[in-house]
Amino acid sequence: MEQVIEVQALRREYVRQTRLFRSGKKVVKAVDGISFSVARGEIFGLLGQNGAGKTTTIKMLTTLLAPSSGECRVLGYRSFGEEKKIRPRINFIFGGEMGVYRRLSARDNLHYFSNLYLLSRAEQAKRIDAILKLVDLADRADDLAETYSKGMIQRLQIARGLINNPEILFMDEPTVGLDPLGARMLRDIIRRLREEGRTVLLTTHYLAEAEELCDRMVIINRGKLVAGGTPAQIKGDCATLEDAYVRLIEEDKP
Amino acid sequence: MKLAVLYSTMVLQMKKSFVRPMFRFCLLANPILNTILLYEMFRTAGEESFLAYVVLGAGLMGLWSCICFSSAGDINRERYSGTLALIFATPASFPLIILGKIIGNTLLSLLSLLISLVTAVLLFRVPLSIGSPLLFLAALAGTVTCFVVISSVIACLLTLSRKTELYMNCLEIPIILLCGFVFPVSILPPAVQALSRALSPTYAIELLRMSLYGVTDLRLFWEKFGIMLAITALYAILSGLLYRRIDRRVRIAATLEVA
Repeated sequence: MEQVIEVQALRREYVRQTRLFRSGKKVVKAVDGISFSVARGEIFGLLGQNGAGKTTTIKMLTTLLAPSSGECRVLGYRSFGEEKKIRPRINFIFGGEMGVYRRLSARDNLHYFSNLYLLSRAEQAKRIDAILKLVDLADRADDLAETYSKGMIQRLQIARGLINNPEILFMDEPTVGLDPLGARMLRDIIRRLREEGRTVLLTTHYLAEAEELCDRMVIINRGKLVAGGTPAQIKGDCATLEDAYVRLIEEDKP
Repeated sequence: MKLAVLYSTMVLQMKKSFVRPMFRFCLLANPILNTILLYEMFRTAGEESFLAYVVLGAGLMGLWSCICFSSAGDINRERYSGTLALIFATPASFPLIILGKIIGNTLLSLLSLLISLVTAVLLFRVPLSIGSPLLFLAALAGTVTCFVVISSVIACLLTLSRKTELYMNCLEIPIILLCGFVFPVSILPPAVQALSRALSPTYAIELLRMSLYGVTDLRLFWEKFGIMLAITALYAILSGLLYRRIDRRVRIAATLEVA
């Protein structure tokens, strides 16, 4: 099976200033030598505590951040150095209310991003209405995004993430703050993407959601990989994925 | 496609800028207040061409403020609203997006020149006479180009740092003083004048002033115009080199987003 994401011994370090002057510097290992791969058409989960390194990993995969060392390939290309070949074919959604132009309408946001994704006018006309309908924003498409509820902004983020019909969609906690209907709609969209043969890499703190959606997953703790496999493999003899997750994190305590 | 990126970014930027109260203040109120202030300063100073110093000075101060607080500050706003990373990771060229923003802002900010002129004419009955109208238009086009390019260098450098607000505040007044927005640079100390001569807006302002008075020495006008274009071209080359480097640096230094 074609591996569309390949991560080998990936590390990312940040240098943080701990004192007022330059002498006080501390190196923080956000991602510390993780390896995994994702096959085309899979829904893959990246689980872990806050600060475990999930978002940093996604940022490296989405060409936003340079790895300190290790291999990070998307669609066969290095995410740092060959990013131009990756960018038209992927997209990403970060959870929360950021990442949209609030002083523009949903339609204007999508028009703008479709220009940045170099879509032709004909493609734009075809895709924008369909996506607005898909995320249930068609009725409010021409209202300014600043008048939207939190859930609507998040749905607009999802719409933006789908604008270029990506082969791989990266989602960082996409259901944070969504109401139950919104969260269900997102899960349906993710399943639909899988049916279309697209790959989704997602992080979430909702373990039931991860279990329901993911074909495979890895659990990261303090930048290192502590478990990987199908939800059933990770669950092992535990009653729920949450029990297994808590045990793994507890066992990894320093 | 590239034109669509440039045009849509320009339009987006104009919309985004105009709805911000601070931008509207810089664009609409600042030129009026600066015109009044400069008029009162120049009224008893023996300067006869209020257009050359009061209107142009106030208008250009407004234009520069808008550029500083919008073209430069917008990098920070995009960073804090989480859209800087999104636009950076699209297939569109990042420098082209930044250029679209800057052109949009600069064109919108030209309104400050008009407001300053209207204020001076309505409040102080300043006579509207341009000595060399065609050369004035040429100088104005050169000025816009030079401001667009200088903003591009600044915006590029500010992408690298999260201390954008500090830098844009530090830039505003020194450029007004060094480039002679409201007085001729010849009154500055020689060492400071050397610095002024390395800045393209200095020549742009001199050209505007020359054409307002009426150009008597065409050779001198085009000589200055050539110097302005040469320095602007140098900035453009610098900007191009910086953008190549920045594409790697921002991802190593992780400055696209707020930590």
